[in-house]
Amino acid sequence: MKSLLGMTAVAVVLSAVAFMLGSYQTDIYRKLLLWTTLALSYNFLFGIAGQVAFSHFTFYGIGAYAILILLFQVGLPLPLAILAGIALCVVLALVVAIPATRLEGFYLALATLAFAQLFIVVLNEGGTVTGAGGGLANYRLPDVFGVRVTGPWYTVVIVVLLLSTFATLWRLDRSWFGRACRAVRDNPEAAQAMGVNVARTKIIAYTITSAMAGVAGMVYAFVDNTVNPPIFGLQNSFLLLFMVIVGGSGRHAGAIIGAALLYLMPFLLSPLIGHHHALVFGVVMVAVVLFQPKGLIGVWDALVARRKLVP
Amino acid sequence: MKQVLLNRIRTALAAALVVVAPMAFAQTTIKIGLITDKVGPAKGFAEPVAQGAIYAVKELNARGGLLGRQVELLVEDDQGRPDVSATAARKLVDAGAAFILSVSLTPATQQAQSVTLESKTPHMTPSNSGDTLTTQIVNPNFWQTGPLASTQIATLLSYARNKNFKRVALITDNSDLGQLTNRFFKAGLEKSGIQIVSEEVVPGGSTTADPQMQKVRAANPDALFMTGVLTPENALILRSYRQLGLKTPVLGNYNLSIPVYSSIAKGLLDGVTFVDGFDPAKPEAMRFIEAYKKDTGNEPYNLHGYGYDGVMLVVDAIKRAGSTDKDKVRDAMQATKAFSGVMGGVGSVYGFADGKRTGFDGNGMVVRVYEGDKQGKVVHVGAK
Amino acid sequence: MNDFLELVVGATATGCIYGLVALSYLLITRPTGVINFAVGEWSTLAAFGGFLLLSRLEWPYPLGMLLVVTMLLLIGWLTERFTVRPLVERGAPPLAPILALLGMLVVFREFASLVFGADPQPVPPAFGFGRLELGPVAGSYQSFFIIAVAAAVFAAAWMFFERTLAGKSFEAVAIDRRAAALMGINLRRVTSLAFAASAGVAALAGLLVAPNVSAHYLMGLPLAIQGFTALVIGGVGRVEGALLGGLILAFAEQFTVRYAPVPPGLAMGVPLVLLIVFLLVRPTGLLLPREART
Repeated sequence: MKSLLGMTAVAVVLSAVAFMLGSYQTDIYRKLLLWTTLALSYNFLFGIAGQVAFSHFTFYGIGAYAILILLFQVGLPLPLAILAGIALCVVLALVVAIPATRLEGFYLALATLAFAQLFIVVLNEGGTVTGAGGGLANYRLPDVFGVRVTGPWYTVVIVVLLLSTFATLWRLDRSWFGRACRAVRDNPEAAQAMGVNVARTKIIAYTITSAMAGVAGMVYAFVDNTVNPPIFGLQNSFLLLFMVIVGGSGRHAGAIIGAALLYLMPFLLSPLIGHHHALVFGVVMVAVVLFQPKGLIGVWDALVARRKLVP
Repeated sequence: MKQVLLNRIRTALAAALVVVAPMAFAQTTIKIGLITDKVGPAKGFAEPVAQGAIYAVKELNARGGLLGRQVELLVEDDQGRPDVSATAARKLVDAGAAFILSVSLTPATQQAQSVTLESKTPHMTPSNSGDTLTTQIVNPNFWQTGPLASTQIATLLSYARNKNFKRVALITDNSDLGQLTNRFFKAGLEKSGIQIVSEEVVPGGSTTADPQMQKVRAANPDALFMTGVLTPENALILRSYRQLGLKTPVLGNYNLSIPVYSSIAKGLLDGVTFVDGFDPAKPEAMRFIEAYKKDTGNEPYNLHGYGYDGVMLVVDAIKRAGSTDKDKVRDAMQATKAFSGVMGGVGSVYGFADGKRTGFDGNGMVVRVYEGDKQGKVVHVGAK
Repeated sequence: MNDFLELVVGATATGCIYGLVALSYLLITRPTGVINFAVGEWSTLAAFGGFLLLSRLEWPYPLGMLLVVTMLLLIGWLTERFTVRPLVERGAPPLAPILALLGMLVVFREFASLVFGADPQPVPPAFGFGRLELGPVAGSYQSFFIIAVAAAVFAAAWMFFERTLAGKSFEAVAIDRRAAALMGINLRRVTSLAFAASAGVAALAGLLVAPNVSAHYLMGLPLAIQGFTALVIGGVGRVEGALLGGLILAFAEQFTVRYAPVPPGLAMGVPLVLLIVFLLVRPTGLLLPREART
């Protein structure tokens, strides 16, 4: 399935869907794909590398604002703006990660939480550069080689983003780096003793996943054609955490299920529970942690295993 | 035998068609979309406006509807988030809304405009006061009949003309609308040659406004203009004002006209002047209050009136257009003039003269003063 | 000078609130190592309780306060019993209770918004909104009340940990859980008490700060973050640290706004910057735990 052919097939199917949807449904579909992308990279950071961070969604925001500022205020051409944006995310991730390697579990969460809040403060006080409270709007994606990428074609761009993120993470997971991350997650001292450079592993994991979130953010900037501080607030960071835990942390499939479920749930449940879907999320989160820490993917595995036992 | 049966069936079908067809026609309602905030920061302002709109539709349908059809109000919740507002607008456009009303936050309305611009759907905000809504995006399908910040300050200045303010202070919060209102108030003040000696910001989530108010006290202004729109922060400002023993006259933007202040800022409001778009002594307003109270059992206030007027303006435009065709409705809306609604001082009317898309009467705002914790009567009308 | 002294009173009162929230964290973190971000939501529930009993039903203040604190003691106990104990007994990783409590944060907040609506509600102060002048120092009645209550709570907490046997058992559990259990200390009882006490302290913080900021379903998260920052600054090891951290934070915030030529919006960043600086430079906080001092 993970072969190039498999990937292409999935890409074609996901893209084909994009051409069949109305305006409102396209909006939901695109956001679903973006959340899945974020959940996959966050799952790597949290589930596989074991770092409890609240800054993932912040890098999504940094990517989004960065590309807009670089394109429209600094005036860079699109390819250069993308590269510069990625570079910015990498630099900021290093700034956070390098000192943070000294922080354990909870303190890391706290530092990243503070970083997330600080980002919002900077956005709000950024005057005309960040658009302050109202954010940036009134722009659109510049033409690429004279072609305006819009509508379902832009959705294809998002599909490509999702699949390349998935492919990269899959490879990383399977490689020695993935094993090193898991070793550091489970027992840093033992990992150190076995020759793994704990600090460097943590830094690389954080930087790569944060940069991925940044790239997703750049793509997002042209979905709504608006960015403003409330979009990148803490609410969404928590939601991302919930998605990964409910789906099953440490497993790519878990991230996909968690993202799809928690993103679509408010739309489906809206007639039933009105706008209190946050309550349902909280309850589901607690339930999962208490009863099925492996998440929904754990439930699936158990079902599959039971199936196998029955002849 | 078979022929008789067939004939009977044919007649029955024909009869059924005759009965069903008009029913099918009558089922088609005219859909008007409403984007409100039910859970987010704008809830306190958006929901009453929405209630006013819902009541307007109810009253209208009871009187026979619009162009012979019933009006259906499709309500969407954008949670006070601009990105969700855009999605909600798309949903309403896809659902066939003939007109969309935005009553949530100013940035949310702005974002929804990107959708109505693209789909050429008529779009209006009856309650937002941010001046930039009609200027930042050139959207010929969008109108604004809320009380503009520029009109608010012009009205307050006209009221304060004989008080001879030379040096004033401004205090606001860090919300988008608060900053915007502050900008326009500042512009209006500076145009009148008044000097701003202190400009403070109380960020959302603060536990006290003492440091900011101390700075205001130190600057010793002739008046303090409150341009913020976050309710808890305004209450903090008023509390600090009393605690620090300030005596400077306080003039507030229309946000201070919301009744919730009477409960959370109890004892702090006496003497506070504010600008509003509502004169409860106006005949149309009194009629609306009576009717609303009778129907729902609750007493409405100014926000409900904005929602009511919004729906009535839309309905009037569609009526004049004779159909729900978007181009015809747009032209009819733009041609609105001398429309008398619930809001505005006595004699004020709505209209979009000279191709402008802001419709609230420039001289239609009133100035009132709090007496104790209650909103006193109107002491000044208009901006002349 | 007048301004300065006035601000001192106000900042001290705010610092006490932050200190109480920090204490709330500390009471749970010391014996169990669990970080309970839901303390802010406990304060929110207490604030709404205050609205209900004191504003709506107009009960006398001491009675209302007592009932609200008691209710929160119960809620704290229940939270531990149903969302933390099952995890601890199952031997779940230390992250699990923290995540469960994060879920509870959302549950508590939505519950508050569901029951009380999304509008801010008034909560009366203990002695009205008058002003007290003690020589050159002046402040609102509520500020002085906050300082008095916080002083009492911290004194009591300090006495508990330093002078009573029960308090020492908390310390023992904090130092080494297994050893403490082996010495016959009832771990379960300590954990339950810790959660209940934490909720009670958070309740006081919520009730005391609400007259100024109104009871509002979103008030929990900012309080939780400020309280945690205070804890990091002061150090998790000692009760006094919580209060010190709270005071430093409040003073930094308010004096920056008043005197620094910095745009006020950026002043919101002060606690965050302090937090980051302390985490990087001195994660253990200013005051080191008892055992390290001797």
